[in-house]
Amino acid sequence: MNKTTPNGISYREALDNYQANRELPLPEPALENRQLLNHFHPDYIEESRATLQIGPNKGDPCHKQLAQLLQSDSRINEADLAGAATVKTDVLVIGGGGAGCAAALIAQQQGAKVILATKLRLGDSNTIMAEGGIQASINKGDSPQTHFDDTLKAGHHHSDPNLVAKLALDGPDVIRWLIQQGMQFDLDEFGDLLTRRAGGTSAERICFYRDYTGLEMMRVLREAVYNSGVEVWNYSPTVELLSDDMGGCSGAVLSSLKDRKYIQVSAKTVILATGGIGRMHLNTFPTSNHFGATGDGLVLAYRLGAALRDLDSFQYHPTGLAHPYHLAGTLITEGVRSNGTYLLNGKGERFTDELQARDIVAASIIRECQEGRGIVTEDHQAGVWLDTPGLELRHPGLLQQKFPKLMHLGKKTGTDLTQKPMLIYPTLHYQNGGVVINENGETSIPGLVCVGEVAGGIHGKNRLMGNALLEIISFGRRAGLVAAERRKNKRSSQLSIEHLNQLRRELTHSNLSLDCEGPLLFPEYAKFDLDSDYIGLHRNRRSHS
Amino acid sequence: MSQNSPLNQVLLHPDRRFGADLDAWLIDVGGDGLDNAITNPELIIPTIRDAKLLGLGGSGFPAHIKWEFVANESNDQDKYLICNGNEDEPGTFKDRVLLQETPHQVIEGAMITALATGINQIVFYINPHLTGSLEAMKEAVNQWDETQYINQISKILGRPLEFYVVASSGLYIGGEETAALESIEGKFPFPRGKPPYPAQSGLFGSPTLINNTETLSNVSHILRNGAEWFANQGEGEANGTKIFSLSGDVLHPGAYELPMGTPLTELIHNYGGGMLLDRKLKAVFTGGPSNTILTPKDLDVPLDFNSVQERRSSLGTGAMIVISEGTGIVRRVTEYVSFFANSSCGQCPSCKTGTYYASQLLSRIDSGAGTRADLDTLINLTRILPGSGRCHLLDGAMKLLDSSLYHFMEEYEQPLKL
Repeated sequence: MNKTTPNGISYREALDNYQANRELPLPEPALENRQLLNHFHPDYIEESRATLQIGPNKGDPCHKQLAQLLQSDSRINEADLAGAATVKTDVLVIGGGGAGCAAALIAQQQGAKVILATKLRLGDSNTIMAEGGIQASINKGDSPQTHFDDTLKAGHHHSDPNLVAKLALDGPDVIRWLIQQGMQFDLDEFGDLLTRRAGGTSAERICFYRDYTGLEMMRVLREAVYNSGVEVWNYSPTVELLSDDMGGCSGAVLSSLKDRKYIQVSAKTVILATGGIGRMHLNTFPTSNHFGATGDGLVLAYRLGAALRDLDSFQYHPTGLAHPYHLAGTLITEGVRSNGTYLLNGKGERFTDELQARDIVAASIIRECQEGRGIVTEDHQAGVWLDTPGLELRHPGLLQQKFPKLMHLGKKTGTDLTQKPMLIYPTLHYQNGGVVINENGETSIPGLVCVGEVAGGIHGKNRLMGNALLEIISFGRRAGLVAAERRKNKRSSQLSIEHLNQLRRELTHSNLSLDCEGPLLFPEYAKFDLDSDYIGLHRNRRSHS
Repeated sequence: MSQNSPLNQVLLHPDRRFGADLDAWLIDVGGDGLDNAITNPELIIPTIRDAKLLGLGGSGFPAHIKWEFVANESNDQDKYLICNGNEDEPGTFKDRVLLQETPHQVIEGAMITALATGINQIVFYINPHLTGSLEAMKEAVNQWDETQYINQISKILGRPLEFYVVASSGLYIGGEETAALESIEGKFPFPRGKPPYPAQSGLFGSPTLINNTETLSNVSHILRNGAEWFANQGEGEANGTKIFSLSGDVLHPGAYELPMGTPLTELIHNYGGGMLLDRKLKAVFTGGPSNTILTPKDLDVPLDFNSVQERRSSLGTGAMIVISEGTGIVRRVTEYVSFFANSSCGQCPSCKTGTYYASQLLSRIDSGAGTRADLDTLINLTRILPGSGRCHLLDGAMKLLDSSLYHFMEEYEQPLKL
C-alpha cells in the first residue's frame, strides 16, 4: 500500500545492520523543515491536489479524493422519503465518539432532549484509537499560554487563534471533568497526574493512561451516555441533513440499517461529530482510523453551505505499523518516542529528531524510504525501524509497564519488541482541517454545530499529539451547552432537502459528474451481505474510485 | 439571449433596472406615459380597456373594470390606491424584483392609475421581509417630490396627491385584498366579508382600488406605447407580458418576463434550462400554489389566464413550481397545505380547523403512519370544505389537495399502514 518505491535495504540485511545497545546522537538535519515537507510530505504531492469547483469553498485547493466526495450527488431523492417517520428532538448528535458523547451528555444535563445517532455502535470511533494522551497545562511552570503557543507553532500558524485559546484554557478543567466522570489516569506515587512531553511541544503536558488513553476515555463516556437520558441509535448512518426555508439546518435523514428504512429527525440543533477521513485512504496510504472514518460530516455540511478550511492538510502519523500487511496502518503511540525511542533507517542510523512535530517526522521517514535507506520486506512493504529494544536497554521494564497495548501488538505480529525492532511507516491519521466553526462549534449554518475532527481551525496545518482528545471534550462540552440553549428556539417548520437541488444545479453548471454519490458511509471494501443492498444505502450502484 | 429574444423586454428589461434613480428612469422611457396621461386623463381608462390589461396578482380580472368602479365614486372624498406588494406565496418572487430594481416603473404606473380614477392617496403596501424592496420604494417615492408631476396631478385632481410606503404584517393572509385594508388601518389582517366591496368602502371607509405591483408596472408602458403595442406583446389571443416565477427541479430557476401565452414547455426548456438532471417532468404547481396541478400532458399549455383556465387550473401569480420524477407529491402537498394551515387567519372555523386537520392527516400519511381511514377523511374534506371561508385561502388549499389526489392517488396509498 505504501507509495514508496520498494528500493531499499532488505529486511534481513537491515536486521544485520541493526544494533540496539548504543546511544546515538541527534543527526544534523540534511534539509530545512520547509524543504523536507515540500519534497516528502504527502500533502504536497502535486497530482493529488484539486481545486473545488462548487460550493462555499469554490476555488480552494483540496485533496483530489475529498474533492470528488464534496462534489458528489446525494444518495437520496425526495421521493425516497415518502412514508419516512419523523421523530422530534431538541438535539441530534451525529457520531458516537468522544466529541459526540461529550456534547450529548452536556446538552442532556442542561435539560435538552437528545438523540445520539451513530452509523456503527456507540464508541466505535477514533477516540478509542487515541493512545498517547491528552494535553492540558496542569504542571508547574507550564501555562495555557505556552500550550497556546506550541499549538499555533505546530500548526504552522494556520490555526484560528481564538479557537486555540479556548482549547488551551479549557485544558485543566477538561481533565477535572474527565476524572469526575470516572476516567483513570496514570499517577505518580503521590497520586498526582503523571505527564510526558509530546513531539513539538515545550513542556510535559500529556496526561495519559497506559497507552490506551482514548479507550479509557471512551469507556467512561460510553457508560455515562448509557446511564443518562440520551437516546442512542446505533447502526443509523446519516445520509443527508435537512434544511429549512431560511437556509438553516432543521434535522437529518437517517438510514436505519436494522429496519432498512429512512427516518427523519427534526432537531433544533444538529451536532455533527462524525470524525475524519482516514478510511478514504488518501494517496493510497494505510490508516490508523476506525472503520467509519469516511468524511461523511464534511460532505453533509458542505452541501448545506457550510464553509470548510484547510482541506489540503492531513496528518500522517509517523509511526504506523508497516508489517505485516494485514495490520498495516495500525497506530503506534507517539508516547514511545516521547520516552526516548529512536527511529533508525536500514543502515541502523538515526536520521531525525523523533520529537519534532509529526509532519516533519513523517516526511523524514518517507524521505529515508524514497532515497533507498528504508527497509523493504519480501512483500514490498517499506518502512524504518522503531527501536524498541534500544528503549528496553536504556529503561528496562518501561515497555511492559507503560505500553501494554504496544506489547500486545508485538505479540500479534509475532515479535518480542524488547528484542526486535518494529517496522513502521507513516499512516493516515488525522484530518487537520474541517468545517469552519466559532468557539462554540457553531458553523455559518444556523442550527448546525460541528465538533471534533470534522471541525477545522484548531490544528492549522498540523496537529500536536494530545490536542485531539482535548479538543473533543473541550469543544464537545461547548457544543452541548450551546445546543441546550437553542432548545428554547422555535422549531423550524420545514424539513426539506431543497438544498440538494442547488447542489445538483451547481454540479450540472460545472460539468461535474453526477455518477459519484456521497457521503461514503462505509469504505468501498466493506463487505456486506447482499441483503443489505437496499435502497437506504444504494450500495454497489455507483463507484467511488 | 439574442436581441430578438422575447425575454425581459418590458418590465424586467435589463437596461432599465435603475433602482431608486429617478433621473435615470426619466431619461430612459420614464415620464412619457405620465405625460400622455396628464395631457388626456380621460383617455387613460379607455386605453387600458383597449389594451385588455388584466390583474396580474392572480385574479386575471380586467383592470379597467375595477378602475371604473372607483372612478365612478364621488371625487369629494379621499380615494385610495393600494399597490399590493405583500408577495408571500411559496414560489412567487416577481414583485420583489419590480419593487427593488424598478421602483419608478411601479410609482409612475400608480400615478397614472390615480389620475385615471381620481385617487389622491397612494399606498405602497410591501412585505417587510423584502427589505430591499421596502428600502428602494421609500427612497424612490421621495424623489418624485422634486418633479413637477406631483403638482400637475394634484392640480388635475383638485387635491394633493400623497404617497405612503407601508410595511405589511408580512403574513401571507395580508396579501388578500380586504385583509390588506385591515392591515393598513393598523389591525390584524383579517379578510373582510364582501360586500361592501373595497371600491365602495375600502380603506378607512373610502373608495379603494387594490392592484398588484406587476399590474401597475405595466401602466406607464401602455400609456407610452398604446394599447395596440401592448396587445402585440402577447402571444395568440393574450396581451402583454407576464413575469413567471420559475422554481423547483429546473436547471435555471428565476423570474422570467415572457409574452403572455408562452407555452409552459418553452418556459421550462428554453428559459429554465430544462429539467434538472434531465429527469422527467412530473407535475407543476401553479400560481400560489393554490391551484389545480398541471401534469406532463399540459406541457403545451399557453401560459395565459384563459388557456390555463381551460385546463381547469389557474395562472395565478405566474409561479411555476416544477416537480420532476423523484420528488414526492404527498410531501410537497403536505408542505403547502401546512403553509396554508399556518397562514389561516383563523376567523372562519372551517378554514382554521379544516386546513389544520388536513395538514395533520397529510403529515401522518407522509410519515408512514396514515391509514385508509385517514385518506378517506382527507378526500371527504376536499368535498365539504370548499366555499366555506370568507377568502380563498381554504378553497386554494383544497383545490391543490383535490387535484393531487386525483392525479397521484397511488402516492397517497403507497405509504399507508395496512
